[in-house]
Amino acid sequence: MKSNETLRNILNSVLPVLLALLIGAILILAIGENPLEAYGIMFGKSLFTLRGLTNTLHAAGPLLLTGAAIAITFRAGLFNMGVEGQLLIGGFMAGLVGAYLHIGNPLLHKLVAFAVGASVGVLFALIPALLRAYFRVDEMVVTLTLNYVMMTILEYLSSGPFRDQGAGYVTTPTIDSSAMFTRFGSTRLTPFFLIALLLFGILWFLNTKTEFGYKIEAIGKNPEFSEATGLRVRKSIIMLILVSGAIAGFAGAGHMMSQEYKYTLSFSGVTGLGWDGMLVSLLGSHSPLGIIISSIFYSALKTGADNINMYTSIPKEIVAVIEGIIILFLSIRFLNERFGLLEKLSKKKGEKNEPAL
Amino acid sequence: MGTILQTKDLTKKFGDFTANDKINLTVEEGEIKAIVGENGAGKSTLMNMLYRQLEPTSGEIYLRGQPIEFNSPRDAIQHGIGMVHQHFMLVPSFKVYENILLGTELAHDKLRFLVDHKKEQQECAELIKRYGFDLDVNEVVENLSVGQQQKIEILKMLYRNVDILILDEPTSVLTPQEVDELLLQLKELKAQGKTIILITHKLREVMQVSDSVTVIKKGQIIGNVKTSETNEAELAQMMVGRKVLLTVQNDHIGQESPEVIYTVNDLTTNNTYGNIVVDHVSFEIKKGEIYGIAGVEGNGQSELVKLLSGMMEATGGTVHYKGEEITNLWADELRKLGIAIIPEDRYAQGLCKEMSLSANSIAGSTTSDAFKKNGIFDFKRIRQHCQELIDHYQIRIAEFEGNVSQLSGGNAQKLIIAREMNRQPDLLIASQPTRGVDIGAIEFIHQQILDFRNSGGAVLLISSELSEVMSLSDRIGVMYKGKILGEVDPLETSETEIGLLMAGTIPQEAVVYEK
Repeated sequence: MKSNETLRNILNSVLPVLLALLIGAILILAIGENPLEAYGIMFGKSLFTLRGLTNTLHAAGPLLLTGAAIAITFRAGLFNMGVEGQLLIGGFMAGLVGAYLHIGNPLLHKLVAFAVGASVGVLFALIPALLRAYFRVDEMVVTLTLNYVMMTILEYLSSGPFRDQGAGYVTTPTIDSSAMFTRFGSTRLTPFFLIALLLFGILWFLNTKTEFGYKIEAIGKNPEFSEATGLRVRKSIIMLILVSGAIAGFAGAGHMMSQEYKYTLSFSGVTGLGWDGMLVSLLGSHSPLGIIISSIFYSALKTGADNINMYTSIPKEIVAVIEGIIILFLSIRFLNERFGLLEKLSKKKGEKNEPAL
Repeated sequence: MGTILQTKDLTKKFGDFTANDKINLTVEEGEIKAIVGENGAGKSTLMNMLYRQLEPTSGEIYLRGQPIEFNSPRDAIQHGIGMVHQHFMLVPSFKVYENILLGTELAHDKLRFLVDHKKEQQECAELIKRYGFDLDVNEVVENLSVGQQQKIEILKMLYRNVDILILDEPTSVLTPQEVDELLLQLKELKAQGKTIILITHKLREVMQVSDSVTVIKKGQIIGNVKTSETNEAELAQMMVGRKVLLTVQNDHIGQESPEVIYTVNDLTTNNTYGNIVVDHVSFEIKKGEIYGIAGVEGNGQSELVKLLSGMMEATGGTVHYKGEEITNLWADELRKLGIAIIPEDRYAQGLCKEMSLSANSIAGSTTSDAFKKNGIFDFKRIRQHCQELIDHYQIRIAEFEGNVSQLSGGNAQKLIIAREMNRQPDLLIASQPTRGVDIGAIEFIHQQILDFRNSGGAVLLISSELSEVMSLSDRIGVMYKGKILGEVDPLETSETEIGLLMAGTIPQEAVVYEK
């Protein structure tokens, strides 16, 4: 029974990807290129060369954490859609710490920046957490909309009070070198990836071996049962959303110190690391191993886009198309998970299809 | 009189599960046919097929020898088959006559688009008189008791001229007096030529009112008997497939221990709408005593249990246990103090269906260190603990690593009891401990409760099955509209007396609580 379930979970994740690649292949054929060759270049260059692989792993770091931030609430039946906003404020504040506090000691500087990033993530997540726990306001709606509030606030702060006046575009000052992660050799990989991996491992451990994980599972699967057995559901809900916010803020701080070094309006990329994290979590069925695989796969897709552009005549937008199709398939799955879509549909169908007497 | 309704090899499958397997049922015209079986035996499925709320997978239904094909309940009614559901389908804000005529309103003679209320009232009054019911057509439904609402459901069908009336567990929501009244009413309807099919699992009522009985077990008919030629014990044996004790041996030792272990004083709370649902409830339980709480469902028992098991907050009053105040403590804190809790709804509150057996076996103890090593779960010990519970309480499982959803109702309840009793509690709060479990498991659960009492434990038993409360308890408090209206001794009281209390009347003999 259990292994069957795992198999279905894997199929659930692999199928949308394969379908998306298939549809992408048709489009590539239509352009007049060989899809196998294109995919070969895309994944070959991003996974099977040292430079490509380290680039991919480097980009997977923040995704691993945003994916975990989402998964942890998802498993408890909560939907923190505000990871993007929490990551942005975390990154922004870490950037300010990096640029304005001249601590000097590299270790201490980074620790302070991480602490500030995670804390503001928590503070920002406090709004939906309290609304949800005390007023039963749907956290999905609140977190989702607050992202845009945060984006706008940060746009103002970075183009106004904290703008680097010397730069020709909207950006905060570059952080001190003591707040920057040093790269491994000539790769782009930094110790932040290892920190992300370590944090991820700790979360995994807490989730499967301790009361914390039991709570998450019980609350997610049956809140009334949790209450009846003495788990403080309300307190746990608050705590979980805050933990999720902390991870998101931490990821933002790490992204700032290992990749961006300053806050620009495109700090978290085109789709946004928080949104990507949602995709990663869904693709990995909210399971630890799944998230590791899907975050690496997803970042391979992104780094591969550049290679496609470089080595073939296929426009790199093909990757965005594939991403979009994956999201489309996954959102069907998400709707199904949250609202039991398939069950409702098949039920209706079943009733109609039954043979008459 | 001939056969009015007959089914031939009627089968219903839900996926791989066969709910009804080649049912051949014969109902004679003008009889009261009882269909008995344990919960989940397939009684309701069968009736829902007769009433066309479910489509049979295969098989035929014959009405007066003619094969019939219904497409909807409306169709069934037109053919003369009506059903009264366990849960009523009435509009609470409408008057009695409006509910009876819902969907078949009588139009005004001249102004066709208007409803002729006068004519409607008249017709309904005549209908009520003809069948000897006692109802005011102009009463608003929400002001009526459950028993009266049930009458409206029956009248709805009678107005539509049905010949066959199907009643699904009609007595589960009634007080004993209302049950007696209903049974009389059914006999009266029979005298007027109606055929009645009664679905129930209460054998006493079957013996009282029916002419013939069909026993269903696991989707199959395993016996057809004339009521006059059988008895309760035989029917129970047919239902379960082995000999069962209908009532466990209760010696009522009631160890005259003076030591009060649990005191509830003036406990009060509101529901989310601000209505008082538990109203100054006070009682105490001594060591070695079972205190039963009886009452018609919905009179505050559920909320009382929630208050006492840490799922709801009291707005007033106190609870003391072993001299310590425990009002509004959390469920895990109560359990740590030695209180075992069997919640009302086993799948909503007692177990988590989608979690493993072993995860469920430690529910409520996760905050304690019993199953941890350095703060980390010791899964080996947890599995061992779960296996011990399964062995000791003879819980039938299919797969040890699987989820609770694999368990039958009775075995799921056994798992809860095993988990709670294994903690060596001094007080047991048991709410509806045998609801929806088979007779065999009922026997086991009752024995567990009595053994616990006999070894000096205190028990609070809340149940809507009056016979259960009567046979197990040493003292009984009857709840009505959130209050404990009176306290009686089960050895000295009668069902009549309790019934009156359940209906809100205080008989003179009963000890009335000061509040």
